[in-house]
Amino acid sequence: MPGTGLEALKALIVEDNQHMRALLRSLLGSAGMHAVHEAADGSAALNVMATRRCDLILCDLAMKPMDGLEFTREVRHSKTSTNPFVPIIMISGHTEKRRVEAARDAGVTEFLAKPVTAQSLYSRIAEIMERPRAFIRSGSYFGPDRRRKAAENYSGPWRRQDDMHDLEVR
Amino acid sequence: MAKTQIIPPDSYPQMVSRSEAARISRALRSQEAIQHGDHVIEETSQSLREGVRGYVRALETVIGDHRQTYEKAHEIRGFAENAGLAATGRIADGLCGYFDEIEKLASEPDIEVIALHVSAIARAAYAEDEAIRMGNMVAKELASLVRHKLDEAKAAAGD
Repeated sequence: MPGTGLEALKALIVEDNQHMRALLRSLLGSAGMHAVHEAADGSAALNVMATRRCDLILCDLAMKPMDGLEFTREVRHSKTSTNPFVPIIMISGHTEKRRVEAARDAGVTEFLAKPVTAQSLYSRIAEIMERPRAFIRSGSYFGPDRRRKAAENYSGPWRRQDDMHDLEVR
Repeated sequence: MAKTQIIPPDSYPQMVSRSEAARISRALRSQEAIQHGDHVIEETSQSLREGVRGYVRALETVIGDHRQTYEKAHEIRGFAENAGLAATGRIADGLCGYFDEIEKLASEPDIEVIALHVSAIARAAYAEDEAIRMGNMVAKELASLVRHKLDEAKAAAGD
């Protein structure tokens, strides 16, 4: 396929299933993203991130020893994190509400349910690029704004008042 | 109380510039990109099938260990369809749903229900053509068994 413009970007796939890693790598390659690092769990991925640039992360949820939630929290919160703002797409067969909410609260950018389709993956990547979200730093949370549908010019009351006390825009 | 800080998108590094983002997004959403990607999935389906079957073999060895069974069934559900094993994925999905519902009821899973699902998953994972249609029928039958068993569990929980 002709270049989409993703050729200069580097991705990191964090997935314990080698077949799934190969599939995701092929899908990214099909879209022009050929520079892809791989890791079989969260701690291996952190090692990769320590030495390699990563512009996009595709991450499984259930992995051992470090799962996708802990990995995401490390990326977002750790003082040694090389890129706390990096987009993270969590890809999982665990689609129960509590798991999706846990992923959101850990700071993932997008959640994608398995089985993966080309359309679902590409549309998530396009969404991240087209509509990048503000990051929120509050007492216990650092990550993309979880109220993704809030209008920028909205002037009414916040749904969760406690989130927005002493609001500061950097 | 700690201040909540909002960091707007133009204050942290983006994957690409705004003008590039619009162009790349259009390309990613194009029919050409999607068809190309779907073709890639088809090409890798045979090796994925081997991966699914590996999980199926592992699943068959962990019956009785509910946590392991649940995890393995999730893995199978996650990528069986990408491997062209839709019926396998559907039966695994039914087993995952059964575990989720039974957990909500704080009941013990029925070992017979689990064993039937595991057996059906194993058969479907190796099925070809005609047998795939059988797999879909089995998935439906198992779904009605699960509904029946969950009704029983709900009634028992209400006692």
